[in-house]
Amino acid sequence: MRDTTFRPRRALVLGVAASDAHAVANRLIHLMLTEQGFRVRNLGVCTPLAEFADAAAELDAAAVIIGSVNGHAVNDLADLPGLRAMGRLACPVVFGGRPSIEVGGAATGRARLRELGVDHVLDRAEQLPALLDSILAPVLTHAG
Amino acid sequence: MLGEDVIELDRERRQRLPSWSEIVDGLRSATSDTSDTAVEVLKRAKGRPVLQPRCGVGGHAEMLDLLRALESAGAPDLLSVTIDSHTRLRHFATADRVRRENPAQLNGYPLVAHGWERGRELVAAVGVPLQVRHGSPDGRDLFAVSLAAGITSFEGGGIGYNIPYAKDVPLADSLRAWQQVDAVTAELARSGVVLERELFGSLTAVLVPPSLSLAMTLLEAVLAAEQGVRCVSISYPQSGEVHQDVAALRAIRAVAAEYLPADMTVFTVLHEFMGVFPAGRDWAEALVHYGGLVGRLGGADKVITKTHQEALGIPTAAANAHGLRLARAACSPLLDFVRLDEGRVAEEQHWIEREVAELVTPVLERPRLATAVEAGFAAGTLDIPFSASVHARADVVPLRDPTGAIRYHAAGALPLSGDVLRRQHRLLSHRTAALTDEILADINYFADRPPWTAEKGQVPA
Ligand code: B12
Repeated sequence: MRDTTFRPRRALVLGVAASDAHAVANRLIHLMLTEQGFRVRNLGVCTPLAEFADAAAELDAAAVIIGSVNGHAVNDLADLPGLRAMGRLACPVVFGGRPSIEVGGAATGRARLRELGVDHVLDRAEQLPALLDSILAPVLTHAG
Repeated sequence: MLGEDVIELDRERRQRLPSWSEIVDGLRSATSDTSDTAVEVLKRAKGRPVLQPRCGVGGHAEMLDLLRALESAGAPDLLSVTIDSHTRLRHFATADRVRRENPAQLNGYPLVAHGWERGRELVAAVGVPLQVRHGSPDGRDLFAVSLAAGITSFEGGGIGYNIPYAKDVPLADSLRAWQQVDAVTAELARSGVVLERELFGSLTAVLVPPSLSLAMTLLEAVLAAEQGVRCVSISYPQSGEVHQDVAALRAIRAVAAEYLPADMTVFTVLHEFMGVFPAGRDWAEALVHYGGLVGRLGGADKVITKTHQEALGIPTAAANAHGLRLARAACSPLLDFVRLDEGRVAEEQHWIEREVAELVTPVLERPRLATAVEAGFAAGTLDIPFSASVHARADVVPLRDPTGAIRYHAAGALPLSGDVLRRQHRLLSHRTAALTDEILADINYFADRPPWTAEKGQVPA
């Protein structure tokens, strides 16, 4: 068995982008992460970026995980460079879901999100635990 | 009649609207020889559902093209103006900015930002009536703009357009907003313009137990009736098990006759499968076709169609038109030989009606319905699975039985009787794996392999 005892030591912030009301994946991901030992604050659907930043600051979160499937991710995350310039949302930002509305337009959407400063762009929920482990583990090493 | 005392609107927007009499005249002209209102189209259904796709893109010219393309390639009876997510949530400024800068990024048509004059161009562009489909907890401004545009059909209600569509809008607020929409709808009917007011029974669209869908739309219909509305469309999302679906569509008429005023006209609408679609084209097409057939067998007045691109992204006009044609074929006399096990349908219908009665009676017995709905959600005696809103508990957990029909695995605090719950548990007694795995399997019931490649014992019924 791999050691995963480090998982709950730092909080993660989870939620869905500002214009998106799709709740099913968010609820299942919350359940999955909690079952796997992560400590998650779920802000739910329709959450503006600034609220992610507030929660991350309050909890000193290791990462912010933003889902969106309605195709508006690029617009809903447009303030990310601005917030970062103000020193907010300094932790890694992980995006998951569908980055664009076009049939087959995912690659362009992914590239736009990276340009905005999103650190990791995933499309499947199963990819999350390994990525989060890679974020959480080194953070803990630094923290001693 | 769009006065501040009847419906509260954004002040500046109100000033830009035409006068009430101009609005009524505009809507009346939809009742001329050359064109119809949505309700007139629905009245023609008579055993074969009328068909309507969902459709909406951000740019105005692109929207005109889309409507025209669908009309010529898909021959719909009605067309939709599907609204973008920013507008739904009243982020009107964002919708306006994006439609100017990059309209192709919007997941629907921002009607409020484009304005009612452009809405009139949409109405004039095609020979069939339009319906505004949105998902706004507070759709009052959008409603006013739709009326000014001459659009004779408006979807939504204070429960079904709140709980699945927003995080934190109190039910008191959404119910009040929709009471105002309904009051205007009633007034318009008195002026001779009967709108189609469709209630969104699909809720969160994933594994919605039929009796929950019917209970919610029934409560919305009673609320509309209180405001004087006498014509509603009640929609129901295809579960995927044909006996259950036909029973649910028939149950709509039965519960409407029991709980709604005798002079209320009720149209029934089937939403073709609203959950997770298969990505493969052939299996997705089979599902679209199946939806049309279920609508016809259930006697639906209207079917809202899906497309083979549902799992992939917002459909192209060609894919959307193709979905209409598939559903049309399924509703045609070609398949009139199909018969169901009527005993099984009747049994399902009996239980659906009983469950609906158990869900709505305690609410309807309370003195003020809107307050009772709000209190019911707070207590969990009204609830839906996978709620987007914090104002529903989401303690209801649905699963599919061996035939594929949707049942209550957990009913939370819903006031269902021992008889009902025992039957539900008996039908799910085979579901013994870890609950999250079971739920995931059922969410992906149609998205997984098509039945013709499945191994024995794994065939979706
Ligand atoms: C159910 C559903 C709804 C329900 C949602 C109810 C609710 N509140 O949850 C209703 C009917 C209300 C609805 C409404 C709308 N929907 Co919808 N909906 C769907 C549908 C059918 C299934 C979504 C679902 O629940 N899937 C199950 C969950 C478990 O999976 P998932 O959401 O697909 O997510 C998977 C991955 O994307 C990923 N993932 C998702 N989030 C995250 C987050 C992280 C961190 C990670 C790592 C991964 C990840 O993991 C999941 C599992 O693999 C899909 C189409 C389909 N897939 O068949 C359309 C779909 C997502 N909807 C769509 C749209 C556009 C809308 C609307 C805007 C209406 C419109 N214009 O058509 C509105 C939304 C309004 C708003 N404000 O956002 C589009 C999105 C288009 C695009 N991006 O290309 C889709 C694809 C349909 C389509 N083909 O047009 N919808």
